[in-house]
Amino acid sequence: MASKTKGSPLPMTGAKALVRMMEDRGVEVIFGYPGGANLPIYDELRQSKIQHILTRHEAGAAHMAEGYARVAGSPGVCLATSGPGATNLVTGLADALLDSIPVVAITGQIHRNLIGTDAFQEVDCFNITMPVTKHNELIKHESDLVAAIDGAFYIANSGRKGPVLLDIPVDVQLANYPHDLKAKAILPGYQPTVRGNIGQIKRALRALDRAERPLVLIGGGVEASGAVAELLSLVRKCRLPVVRTLMATGVIGADDELYQGMIGTHGNSLANRLVNQDADVILAIGVKMSNRSIVKPELFAKKAKLIQIDIDPAEIGKNLPADIPIVGDIKETLRDMNRRIEEKPICGREPWILGKHKRSTTMLPKTDAARVMELVFDELSKIDQKLHVTTDVGRHQMWANHHMTNPKHLPLFTSGGLGTMGFGLPAAIGCWFADKETPVVNISGDGSFMMNMQEFLVAVEHKVPLTVIVLNDFRLGMIRELQNLKYGKRHIANDFNRDLDYPLLAQAMGGWGETIVDPKRIGPALKKAIQSRKPNILCFDLELLDQRANLSLKEKAG
Amino acid sequence: MQSTENRHVIALEVEDKPGVLTRISALFSRRGFNVESLTVGHTHQPGVSRFTIVVRAGEAELEQIRKQTQKLVHVLKTYHVLDREVEPDERMKAIMAASNQVQHAVMREMALVKVHYDAQSSRQINHVVEVFSARMLHWSGKDLVLEFSGTEAKIDAVFKELDSVSVLESVRTGKVAMSIEEEKVDL
Repeated sequence: MASKTKGSPLPMTGAKALVRMMEDRGVEVIFGYPGGANLPIYDELRQSKIQHILTRHEAGAAHMAEGYARVAGSPGVCLATSGPGATNLVTGLADALLDSIPVVAITGQIHRNLIGTDAFQEVDCFNITMPVTKHNELIKHESDLVAAIDGAFYIANSGRKGPVLLDIPVDVQLANYPHDLKAKAILPGYQPTVRGNIGQIKRALRALDRAERPLVLIGGGVEASGAVAELLSLVRKCRLPVVRTLMATGVIGADDELYQGMIGTHGNSLANRLVNQDADVILAIGVKMSNRSIVKPELFAKKAKLIQIDIDPAEIGKNLPADIPIVGDIKETLRDMNRRIEEKPICGREPWILGKHKRSTTMLPKTDAARVMELVFDELSKIDQKLHVTTDVGRHQMWANHHMTNPKHLPLFTSGGLGTMGFGLPAAIGCWFADKETPVVNISGDGSFMMNMQEFLVAVEHKVPLTVIVLNDFRLGMIRELQNLKYGKRHIANDFNRDLDYPLLAQAMGGWGETIVDPKRIGPALKKAIQSRKPNILCFDLELLDQRANLSLKEKAG
Repeated sequence: MQSTENRHVIALEVEDKPGVLTRISALFSRRGFNVESLTVGHTHQPGVSRFTIVVRAGEAELEQIRKQTQKLVHVLKTYHVLDREVEPDERMKAIMAASNQVQHAVMREMALVKVHYDAQSSRQINHVVEVFSARMLHWSGKDLVLEFSGTEAKIDAVFKELDSVSVLESVRTGKVAMSIEEEKVDL
């Protein structure tokens, strides 16, 4: 300790420096999987207060880190070994990049002097992960390690958030070196703009004030910047109608009269008409204008002036030209806007559209047990307690996103950009590690569930109050739907042909489960599952539920 | 958003870190940007390298190329540079007035050409050397290595003139560019 104040610091291994720096940055939990090339880090973790969660596959570790980050607001950390350990992280990193989630991934790499020799468990992790990370580094010299770690945590959680990967050769982890743990990364090329230009903010407010039919379009950026309160304050004060993308599910309540629905392929027809035809000024906040939201760019905001707020300058004009761009952090920018409005109110007149959103106007094909999914979400929404809810990818995702209405269950956490099946279960577990007071629910389909179902064991091991809702249609429902709509009902590769006994599976892994075939059981089963505080899987047999729901409707009618 | 594609020159100042070339070329590849030529070398500042990249892009895409490249952590500065010998159109003038990221520049390219020199070809080669002020770098007794430098148009003309003689090998560096202040004195 005395040596701290004078001269160079005492030598320590790279692994120790890494673990100490993570502790200093408040890392509480790491999701990971050991291997030959990261064991020095594991050896160091034994003596650390950081909890290590052993996943059952590295993909689970990456998605758990995403779930953790989403709830904690600080980077989720995952750890894998070289070779297959690193490649198994790739999907989760890409997911975090597309949805701007702060993740720090650490991979072990083989000895430096073996790099490039096709050694055992060698892959070129640096080049493989370059396009799926915000930034990555291969640490070739022990002297670079501390700055790289400092930079990784800073880059992941600043500006437009995202995943950062450090690939650390095993001999760098082992090398004794006088690491100065307080050394900072020097990043002259990385200077995110935080405050929006005040002139542009004034222009934006003027345009909104003059608009006859102003509309606010919100995306994932609002929540990513922690700006939900600022957004609600703005739209309530100015009485501005709001539409959203998939990534902003639940930022504003579905029953709020200002809320007019979701845009895009799976959105509401009204919301699409508002952005395409009716609005004359659109304030787009944290929206990346992807092809699923803006299906036909040539139609979007055809008659509207577009104001766009984004922290990433490259988002301005990427897919659509903006008339009034504002580069800056959404929270800061909205605060500045609210402050100005406080002094000089705008948009005095009554809103041009109010309370017109109807969930029945979704553009989702109403086929195959759609009503049963609605029933499940209606019953789930009645459970009046705080929950962290994740979804997987498929029909259930789109239905949940329209039909979950209880504000205590929102914002929904979903894989919006990459559309990663198998995301929901590990992400839900990650959420719980960041907030152990709140039970977690993963809404899934049979296809998505089977992609990462081994992670259920992690929930059992750590007594995570997890409910997995499997909306089981015995097939890949969204694929079948696409084949029905776009491929002349020519079906292939959408049917599993063999069902899984979900309660038995849950039991085999140390949890419990139930298959629900009677519509009357939906509500009680959900209530029981969420109150049980023991990992469980509820399998909703959509075929039987649909038949019986039809039957009871007929009985009522006849 | 559709605009005609033109050739543009982007200059980047980057931190001289391992993998920086891959980061830039991989970005161009995955975003579907078209590269015509790319040169890179050290600058007078230790640890700073400079890229000159000639791209074919419309205006909106060009802006994306610059912004996406700027997002790379190791990229320090990005400029869109315009050849001072090409008169910008009205639209480009407006863009230049609005942005400090667009600059006038002088641009040069170098070419090395190995030709077979004999009684038959000597006249033509002598003519090219004289007209284009080539430097003779190496003479093997039958082959001659020539160095040309100048604007891209000049190097194009060199290759056109050399069409009729037998060129054994050739290489062009691609453009390098240096931004300049408002033109005051023509040298």
